[in-house]
Amino acid sequence: MSVLEVRDLTVEYRQRGGARLRAVDGLSFTLQEGQTLALVGESGSGKSTVVRALGQLVKLTAGEILLDGRPAARHGPALRAYRHRVQMIFQDPFASLNPMHTVAHHLRRPLQLRQRHLHGAALDAATADLLRSVNLTPPHEIAAKHPHELSGGQRQRVAIARALATDPDVLLADEPVSMLDVSIRLEILNLLDRLKKDRNLALLYVTHDLATARHFSSEIVVMYRGEIVERGPSDEVILHPSHPYTQILSGAAPDPTASRAALAAARAMRQSARAARAAEQREADLGTGCRFRIRCPFATDICRRHPEDMGVSPGHQARCWLYATANGSGAVLPLARPDE
Amino acid sequence: MTAGDLVLRAEHVCVEYAGPRPTRAVRDVTVELRRGEVLGIAGESGCGKSTLAYALTRMLRSPAELTGGSITYFPDGGTPVDLMTLDSESLRGYRWNKVSMVFQSAMNALNPVTSLGRQFDDIFEAHRPDMGRAARHHRARELLEMVGIDPARIRGFAHELSGGMRQRVMIAMALALQPEVVIMDEPTTALDVVVQREILDEIERLREELGFSVIFITHDLSLLLEISDRLAVMYAGEIIEYAPSERVGSAPAHPYTLGLLRSFPDLRGARRELRGVPGTPPDLRDDFGGCPFGPRCSYAFGPCHSVPPVLRPVQARRRGAEADRWTAACHLHDPRRRPDGPPAELGGAAPGTATPDDAIGAETAGGER
Repeated sequence: MSVLEVRDLTVEYRQRGGARLRAVDGLSFTLQEGQTLALVGESGSGKSTVVRALGQLVKLTAGEILLDGRPAARHGPALRAYRHRVQMIFQDPFASLNPMHTVAHHLRRPLQLRQRHLHGAALDAATADLLRSVNLTPPHEIAAKHPHELSGGQRQRVAIARALATDPDVLLADEPVSMLDVSIRLEILNLLDRLKKDRNLALLYVTHDLATARHFSSEIVVMYRGEIVERGPSDEVILHPSHPYTQILSGAAPDPTASRAALAAARAMRQSARAARAAEQREADLGTGCRFRIRCPFATDICRRHPEDMGVSPGHQARCWLYATANGSGAVLPLARPDE
Repeated sequence: MTAGDLVLRAEHVCVEYAGPRPTRAVRDVTVELRRGEVLGIAGESGCGKSTLAYALTRMLRSPAELTGGSITYFPDGGTPVDLMTLDSESLRGYRWNKVSMVFQSAMNALNPVTSLGRQFDDIFEAHRPDMGRAARHHRARELLEMVGIDPARIRGFAHELSGGMRQRVMIAMALALQPEVVIMDEPTTALDVVVQREILDEIERLREELGFSVIFITHDLSLLLEISDRLAVMYAGEIIEYAPSERVGSAPAHPYTLGLLRSFPDLRGARRELRGVPGTPPDLRDDFGGCPFGPRCSYAFGPCHSVPPVLRPVQARRRGAEADRWTAACHLHDPRRRPDGPPAELGGAAPGTATPDDAIGAETAGGER
């Protein structure tokens, strides 16, 4: 069942001199109960702005957010109630916890926001329950610690516990593991996955790591320069990336299983493609067409016009002219196209 | 390339951070770097990998102190130099000239208030005092062009560049004096995948052109398996596995390496259960009674809790040219303590089948360097 729905979300930032930067442009997606949606894209693609807009930390320029099918409140006590139900986990657990306060303090305050009568032993018990739910044990010892006494992974667990304190229905996780060590990332992602199942949470997982996006989500949305360029079931998007941008993203991920010869060949191909594009890149001005065309190996004249979402296979769409001729059954794979 | 063609060797290096109870960050580490080779050093935060890098360039600053071991530099065709005995004047001739470094955070390593050109000038003024102003300027532009940055940027400042471009500038600076060894400390960690890939390609191209050796330090094991020739996995200040990268990915010998390999999902392969490495690393101020990884290891048995293991050749991996160049510090590979050999996933023979090692040997035959 859909919990949080976003329609035509648009966010603009005002720049110096009055110009406006459109960071997010007409995004629509739905978060479902007990499901994870992964939002993937490079730095500067607008991923974090989407999260901030959903957490109502920035104002929407246009579009709407629906919680349980009703427009989300924009201010007052109703906004506070919205925030109880939609909680955020930030990227950097070193910055998101207050160094002056104990772990217990971080958890007590959101607990009391939701349940004002909670005091004394009951409050301590609720705090300990939260810590146990994120596998921080023994809870009474952890509760007394300050953030600097905890490792990065432990801090991120505290941040997750804090997000759970208001008993939310939606969790927005903005690169929750990119600051952590590889060996710890998995524990945190497994934890989020378990909490999602146990509490039937709708989870938005924002990341630039395609491998974990595929592994922990049922659906993937790929963003480029503020718009969704590809969306679909996660295996479908990763195993059959259709938009040229997704193909580049997926080609850039390290592949420990590839042979040395295959790696060298792939590198040579990337280098020649890069050299060929360098000249065009300088003179290109974006205008109104496809935003990816200056980096796109398949760009043609038609890309000066802005593409619509084209069906690639059931449930899988790419915003790319290459699929304009596809009718949903037989998609034209761009890699098979002859070079012009 | 002959086996003896070393460019840098560190033997039994120990580094301590002073304190009431000193933190022993690097413990008896021995590594070798050959000419033209990429040596990968992998490990999680706090395992001592950056400290080791600073030790190799003798750039440690108090409270860190090199408490033991030797570091030898072998100039091309010259006599070996013992870096431990150099005074600060001769050290200056070694640093950046012979061994340079690309630091982790380009944001902090570049000076925000002077132009890029000025920072290149600093390098040449310190190390090439006889170079004229025009020559310095010319060389700096050449270096920028070499790493794919518009030479006109020489007047620019760090904040005008993207993260990837800053990292390219850092690489250009590291190559300014044509060193034989470049140490790269997490050069791509803060970058997203596409930019990371561009930087890696750039490093590979420059290496083919200029022929320098690289020590590449990162916690991203999947990346190292792809780009390095040999791989040293560090844990709690020690090297626990030292192996040819191309094969270790599919046939690790140490349980910790296996844990690291299982902690990232495969992008295109079948979905599998992901475990990570549960637990936390030990306190480096402690003395380890046994194996430092013992408390987190699911294979631990008797001696693991009382006898510290040392690096020894892995019997199961002895074959061909690599016979003695695959070592692991693990009692599972010690025939005296474990007569029936390690479990199959760590290189032991599964009864009635070919060893995993054989299968891998067959796949990669001919690809070996």
